[in-house]
Parts: sequence; structure tokens; C-alpha cells
Amino acid sequence: MKKILYLLAGLALTANVAQAQVIPMPKPGPAPKINVGKPETFTLPNGLTVMVVENHKLPRVSYSLTMDNAPYAEGNKKGVANMTSALMGTGSKNMPKDKFNEEVDQLGADVNVWGSGAAANGLSKYSGRILELMAEAALYPVFTQEEFDKQKNLIVEDLKSNEKNVPSIARRVKNNLVYGKNHPNGEYLSEETLNNVTLADVKQNYDTYFVPGNAYLVVVGDVKFKDVKKQVTKLFGNWTAGKAPSIAYSDPKDVQYTQINFVDMPNAVQSEISVLNVTNLKMTDKEYFATIIGNQILGGGGGKLFLNLREKHGWTYGSYSSIGGDKYVGNFGATASVRNAVTDSAIVEMLNEIKNIRTNLVSPEDLENAKAKYIGSFVMQIQKPATVARYALLTQTQALAADFYENYIKNINAVTAEDIRAAAQKFFFVDNARIVVVGKAADVLPGLEKTGIPINYFDKWGKAAEKPVTSKPIPAGVTAKTVLDNYIKAIGGEKAVKAVKSIYTKSTGKSAQIPAPIVFTMKVADHKQLVDMTIEGYGSVYKQVVNDKAGYRNGQAGKEEVTGDELKELQASAVPFEELGFLTDAAVKLTGIEAVNGTDAYVVKKGTGSYYYDVATGLKIGEAHEEGAGAEKQVSTTYYSDYKEVKGVKVPHHVIMNIGLELDLTVKEAKINEGVSATDFQ
Amino acid sequence: MALGSLLVLGAAHAQKVEFEEFDLSNGLHVILHQDKSAPVVVTAVMYHVGAKDENPERTGFAHFFEHLLFEGTENIERGQWDKIQAAHGGTGNANTTDDRTYYYELFPSNNTELGLWMESERLLHPVINQIGVDTQNEVVKEEKRMRVDNQPYGNLFAEVKKNMFKVHPYRWATIGSMEHLDAATLEEFLAFNKKFYVPNNAVLVVAGDIDTKQTKKWVEQYFGVIKKGEPVVRKKYEEAPITQEFHASYEDPNVQTPMIVEAYRTPAMTTKDARVLDLISSILSDGKSSRMYKKIVDDKKMAMQVGAFNYSQEDYGLYFVYGIPMAGFTTQQIQKEIDDEIVKLQTELVSEKEFQKLMNQVESRYVSQNASVDGVAENLATYYMLYGDVNLINTEIDIYRKITREDIKAVANKYLKPNQRLILDYLPAQEKAEN
Repeated sequence: MKKILYLLAGLALTANVAQAQVIPMPKPGPAPKINVGKPETFTLPNGLTVMVVENHKLPRVSYSLTMDNAPYAEGNKKGVANMTSALMGTGSKNMPKDKFNEEVDQLGADVNVWGSGAAANGLSKYSGRILELMAEAALYPVFTQEEFDKQKNLIVEDLKSNEKNVPSIARRVKNNLVYGKNHPNGEYLSEETLNNVTLADVKQNYDTYFVPGNAYLVVVGDVKFKDVKKQVTKLFGNWTAGKAPSIAYSDPKDVQYTQINFVDMPNAVQSEISVLNVTNLKMTDKEYFATIIGNQILGGGGGKLFLNLREKHGWTYGSYSSIGGDKYVGNFGATASVRNAVTDSAIVEMLNEIKNIRTNLVSPEDLENAKAKYIGSFVMQIQKPATVARYALLTQTQALAADFYENYIKNINAVTAEDIRAAAQKFFFVDNARIVVVGKAADVLPGLEKTGIPINYFDKWGKAAEKPVTSKPIPAGVTAKTVLDNYIKAIGGEKAVKAVKSIYTKSTGKSAQIPAPIVFTMKVADHKQLVDMTIEGYGSVYKQVVNDKAGYRNGQAGKEEVTGDELKELQASAVPFEELGFLTDAAVKLTGIEAVNGTDAYVVKKGTGSYYYDVATGLKIGEAHEEGAGAEKQVSTTYYSDYKEVKGVKVPHHVIMNIGLELDLTVKEAKINEGVSATDFQ
Repeated sequence: MALGSLLVLGAAHAQKVEFEEFDLSNGLHVILHQDKSAPVVVTAVMYHVGAKDENPERTGFAHFFEHLLFEGTENIERGQWDKIQAAHGGTGNANTTDDRTYYYELFPSNNTELGLWMESERLLHPVINQIGVDTQNEVVKEEKRMRVDNQPYGNLFAEVKKNMFKVHPYRWATIGSMEHLDAATLEEFLAFNKKFYVPNNAVLVVAGDIDTKQTKKWVEQYFGVIKKGEPVVRKKYEEAPITQEFHASYEDPNVQTPMIVEAYRTPAMTTKDARVLDLISSILSDGKSSRMYKKIVDDKKMAMQVGAFNYSQEDYGLYFVYGIPMAGFTTQQIQKEIDDEIVKLQTELVSEKEFQKLMNQVESRYVSQNASVDGVAENLATYYMLYGDVNLINTEIDIYRKITREDIKAVANKYLKPNQRLILDYLPAQEKAEN
């Protein structure tokens, strides 16, 4: 039988060869000669630098004014810059709004002005008037309360209309989490901060930041340099000199361990995934070329991410990575929009690809192709007038060497596979990656939990949140009492459970963040508790003791007394089985059914604590406790499994605690009513 | 400068797009355009097949092919297409409409021959197999989720088309039905390829820094060997006129603010009336001084957005007008404001000054649309395939210039009648009580 199949396969093969016409791939011709053009430039006394690229191919012209100001945070007035941009172009000193709009349209031109620049384009026969209009709107804006109110309402409506827009929420949250809420890149606009902005703030913002000190005006098209110079001098010469303030912000910190930051959007049909870390890559860095080539191989069009997630698995329309090259802090990000069901698998593969480029040398073929792609695109772009202007501008604003673009091809060609691996290790993270996932919790959370990557939850504004409840309806007749009764029955029955006076467990543990073996001891008896953690080679690193009078904890930060409400809470929970107390506590509520690590569990809440009981077995499989409030709020979770009987009562022998770091504990020794003495709690 | 002096200035002298065209014996139409200003060459093929050529039980095929034909050919192994392109410094892509499918590459000019070879491979002997079909089936589903199902107002176009066409294949979305794609067999894909991907149903454009004589030789060498296919016969679909206003609604879980949409059926892209409708869109919503924007958004502050656009296609067009109300206003109020503007167009001639503005906007657009060599390539292919006259790339502006103020009034009266339209309420989805 096998032999026949071989024969058939052979036949099919020959048939194919006979049909196909082998037409060899053509060889490239001689490389086109390139010439890196330079604009003609001049600078006005107020600091404005003007760059002109004459090109008479088409009868059109474009102007663009940019200000190379340092980024700044707006804090509780986030929205000032948005408002300044919205108000500019709504009337100026010498032209009411309607007249201005009418004339711009009349010319068939586009003129736009905003808080940090301006742009205009149109037919070159109107080049002079177009520049006049742009200068008028940019330099002589009038800010009125009426327009302020109107533009504000428009922004508010726009914010509202995007509140269910999954990609838009993902953009906001990821910047907020990566850069932090106080960083210019991390803060976001909200109705609340917009309400703090006044017309006076807008005027001040314009006066402070719309200044010629670091400004560039780029002119491209069917115009003559000498005409432009004359006209710009006339129109922009009076622009009051000034430089925008430059405030330094401390660079955002990466997460200490790789984690998922999850935002629940119940309407999502795709999850927006971003694997992120902070970078400081400048175009002048020696690793710059190796990094962009490495990024091209990893996450360019047809790169590793694309081939894996799209072409191999069909999980996404496209997966890409990007890294900025800028004098200010930026970030690396690998992204994909994938259908809900494959969210966890996609994350695993994305991390694998990043790991791979950090660990292994890229193949000579991949390296050559990526270089060719960059060089080809450079060759195709470089002769275009807009490119000449753009490169000249970057040379100035990014402080590039004067011959940066002359040497561009040479520098790309010099990149080696080793350079790329080193750059990847420096700029693409896997151990400190923040994986922001915005998606539908009910569909994707069970899978995400199975990846074993710690998950923190956030709301759509980037604030810490509780794990989303994707609850299922509670069957009739089930109450908190029946759930708790079932649990007690499942672990041995009320009589056996009530006979437990103390529990002692000694566990060995491991943690991704701790390189050495851990020993974890816990003793509980009648409102007293001892927790002790030792790490091989370090001794005891954490000890917490609670007795009926006082409590303390002794960790890396030194010894600290536990007092007040916290002490009361710890004392209350320092019993072998809290559930015995819950049975008679009116504050205990059954809130629903949720999936915990893929298992349906009843959720019982008491205060800020949640307790999860397996719907099928009745056993407790987890608990979660909130600590702190507001942005500082943290949730600690503990998962229980592998129940084994000890003196007639079932005790979990596998415990995973997540308290900022994750501890995976295996109980080696468990004793009931022995191994505990009063001196343990001193 | 006073406004008056603007009016007397002459027309812009946009660069005339020079081209030459010829047919190969297999029916492939070829257009060459030389432009030596940058060392770039575009090789592009447009096939006269789009969503409207699909079997109603197999919608989405045309777009699916746009994916499938990157999977590989007899001489380009699966997964190598993008690599070959990159390795030679090029880029490329493809796109699909209801009327045609367009594939293109941009290369530095020393790789003209390579671009021609790649496109000839795609036409001569693409490899269409189950692996490719299965992979692209998943990719296309993700594309739909990303572009349509996860986007606010993402289903707008599909909903309008569904309501506006009863018999014409324009009634389904270009991306098609995922159920149909799931049900399709490999044989059906092969048959579709055999029927539509033939030289006599395609136009090849080579534009940019080319040596014309050498390019012709290569075209003959690589495309001449491809066999002519059966003539493609297209069925004509005639829609019964809409005689009564009708309503529809759609709920989108991604939006919080409703949108009101009016849609009118309009004539084919080749007609003068379709161009008049373009001007009407400009009057209503192009620029801040346009009528609807100025009145409804700027002065009365009733809407967050309003827009009008004319979507012309080969057999019919659709004219859309839409608005998203600000808080405190209803879609009915927006609709009334929109309708007042349409009535004004139907009853009053536009002023000389406003008319001149339209002409300037047309001219400006005309200069820009041929600014890049890839833009020129696509325009050449489109004018040949869908308009039947390549030289429109230079002369279409004259058609616009011949439009009069009276034409605008007449066309508004002919097509934008209340009894010929759909009113679509595009609504936020109602929250479900329990999930």
C-alpha cells in the first residue's frame, strides 16, 4: 500500500513539472544613481528657519510650519493644547472666520493651523495668497468664548462617540500605562480635565508655545526661492521672538516582570494586543540602523510576526512592531488585532518571536532582504522634493550629522546579524514586557489565565480595576449558605472542620522573580498567625506575626507594627477556616459565577475579599483581596488546588499566591492540631 | 489680493500625462507612461472583476482572490512573494472594489523587469491550493473584524448597499459573507480564476522611470506567452426605480451616538450627471465654507459631523448624506436641516462666486490626483477599464468645466428627490440585560 502511494506521489509531481513553465526570476539592472538634494535655506532674526525646495513639475505648492518644542504635560488641564488647536483658524485679527474659510475654499486650497504648527497647499498660481492666509491664521488668531464653548462641545461629543471604540480605547490605555499619567505621552484627554480649561488658558498656551524660536517653515513646489524669501520675511518677520519652555520628565519605568494589563470591552470582537517597553533610541545612536533593520525583520511587512500570526496561523489581518527613533523617550511595541478565541495563543507567539530575535542570529537571507527593502525605499523616496525637505528638517531637529543621508545606504549595509541581536536585547523586551490587552473578558480571560502570565486589570481609563465579572446566572436555590455548606462538606464535614484548632503547613516554592528556592511556612490558630518566607542563600526575607494583642511584619523594608483596622482584619481572618464564621455573617453575599483559571466558580464576597468555590466540586479554588484605594489599589490573589486529606480534612497542597510577585507553592508538610505552639506567635 | 482678480486667472497647466497603449495578441491591454523625475517604477495590473461579478451564494470571492494571489505561483514559492519584493527594495499591495481588482508593485527603476515577471507569474500560473485557501479564509475574517465589526459605524456602507440594491450585485458588501467563503470549495476558486484572471480581462500599466523600448520587449516576453481566455460576459442588472421613501435601521454595538443617513441611487460613473453630483457634494460638505458644514456644524452647532459624498461605480452610484447630532439634538432635526439644503439646491441656482469656487476645487484636485507616479498608474488603469478612455486622465477636467449652474440645479432635482431615497437610522446597540 505504502509503495503505491509513493508511486502516485511521484506521478503527480512529474505531471506538475510538465505543466509548469519554469521562467527564471530576472536579475536587477544597474542600481540607479541617487543624489541627495538639499533645500535652500535662510533664517529670520526671530529664529524661524525656512527651507525651500523648488520643483516645477506640477503647478502646486505646499507649506508646512512646525515647531520643534519639547513635549509637555498638561496635568489636570489636559485639553488646553487640543482647545488651542481647535480654536485656531476660527477667526483672526484681520479676518473673521467666515471670510477666511470662504477664501480658502474659493482658492481650492487647504489651510490648517493648530497649536504647534500650520500647513497649507494649493495651486501655485495662488501661492502668495495661500501663504498670506496661513500666516494670518497662525500668527494673529483671535480666541473668543463663543468659539471656545462650541469647540469644547464638539470635543466632548467626540470623546463620547469613541467610548465604545475598542482600538481607540486601546491607544489611550497603553500610552497611559507605559508612560504613566503624569508624562506628556501618558496623559489623556477627558471631559473632566477639559472642564478645567478656560479661555485664558488657551491664550496663554498659544503665547507660550506658538513661538519662532525652534520653528521651521518648509516650502515645496512651483515657487521661486527669492520670491519666497521676500514674502516670508514680510509675513513672518514680525512674529515675536521667543522659545518654548523645555521641561524634563523622568523616563517612565518598565514593569518589573512580564505581565498582562487587561481592559474589558464587552463589545469587542477582536482583542487589541500590544507588547510594550520603554525605549530611548535616538537616530544618532550607534545601534540605530541595527535596531530599525531588526524591527523590520521582526515586525515589518512580511516580517516574522506577520508570517507567524497571519500567514501561518490566520489569526490576524496583520501583526507588526514599531520603535521610534527620537531625541525624546519612546517605546517599542509589537501589536496585533486578533479574534477573541486566539488572544492567548497570539500573545504566546508574539513573545516567542521577540525571544527568538533576542536569542538567535537572523538568517543572512532575512538580513539581506531587510536591508534591500530599506535601501529600495530610500532610493525611491530620495529624489522627491517632499523627501528632500523632510530629511533636511530631521537633520536639524534630530541633530543628525550633516552627511547622515549621504551615508545612509553605507550604514544600512554595515549592519550585521550580531548587531541586530545586540540591538534586540537592548530594545525589545520579553522579561519586562507590558502586554496590554483590550478585549472581551468573557471570551478571552479563561485563555489568558492559562498562559500563566500574571494579569492586572484596568478600566478603560487605565485605572487599576477589579477582575471583570463575566458572571453567569446563579441557579435557583443556590445561596451563600449552600455554597459555604457545600465547601465544608467537601473538605470533610462540619464536625471534622470544627475540630481543627490549628493548621501548620510548610511549602517549597518558586517564583519567576526570585532565582533561588523558597521555603514558606504558615501557622494558623485561633486568631493568631505566623507567615515566614526564607530564600536559600538569603535566610528569612519576610515574617508576619499576628496574635490576639498585636502584630508586626519584618521584611526588606525593616520591621513594621501592624495596628488598627488592619490588625483587626488580620486577626479576624487568622482562623483555620474563615467559612465557619461566614455562615452566620450577614455581610457575606453570593454574587455570581465566574471562571477562575478556566473553572466555573461561585463567588462569595465579604468586604473587599472575594472567595471562589468550584461549582462542580464545592472546593475553594481561590480568593482575592483588594488593598489600597484609587490608583494605588492592588489586588492580591491566591489559587488553591491539589486537595489532600490530613486528619479527615482536605487541605490544598498546591497554592499560587500573587502579591505583586507570583509565588508557586507546593505543600511538603501539613499538620492539623500539632506543630503549633503559643511561642510561634510572638 | 482682492477676490475679483482671482476669477480672471486662467486654468492651471497641470503636466499633461503622456502615455502610449497597445494590445498583445492575447487581448492584454498595455499602457506605458514614462516619468524620469525619480528612479521609481510601478508595475500594475487591473482585472475587470469585483464583488459584482460574484455568485450571490459565494459573495466575497473577488476580495478573497486579492489575498489568494499573493500565495505563490509555479515559480514563486508560497511565502516568497513578499520576500522577493523586499529583497529588491520594493513594496506592493492590492485592493478590491465592486468593479475591479488592482495589484501593484513599486520598485527602484532597475527592477522593472522583476515587477513585470511577478505580475506575469500571477496571471500565468498562480498556485491555488487548500493551504492557501484555508489560511486566507482566516485572514479575511480578521480583516472584516478589524475594518468592519470592531469599528464605530463600520457597517454603514454594507447596510446602505443592502437596502439600496434589490437585484444588482452591488447589494452585498465587497468583503462578502464569511459563511459563503467557508462553504466554498477549491474547485470553485479555481473556476473563478479561470474565468476572470485572463489577459483579455486585464490591463497592465508600467509607469515611471522606464526605457520604453526595453519595457515593451519585456512585456511581450513575459505576458505574450499567456493564453487568451474565454471572453468574459457580464449580465446586466436593472434596478426598478425607487418611487417611495423607505426606512431602515441598524444597531451597532461600537457606537454611542446615532447617525442619520440619506441615500439616493445615482447613475454610472461614466455619465456627466455623476460628475455633477460630485460638485453637489463639494457644495454641501467640502471645506469649512461648504453649506451643510457651515450651517449645521459651525453656525447652529447641531451636529458633530455632516457629510455628503457621491460614490460612483461602473453600473450605478450611491449618493450619501449623513449627520451625527450633538447632545441635545435629534437625528430628525439634523435630517430637516440637511433636507433644507437639498431643497435649496433644487430651487435656487448657485451663485457665480460659489460656482467659481467649485471650479477651483476641481482644478486643485485634478493637479493633485496625478502628483505621484503610483497615482498616475492607477488612474490610467481605471480610466481604461471603467471609463473606456485612457485620455480622460488629461481631459476629464474639461467635462467638469462644461458643467453649468443650471446642470447642478437640474441634477439635484432629478436624483435627490425624497421619494427616491432611503432613510437609515444607524443606532447604538441596545444594552443587553445579561450576557
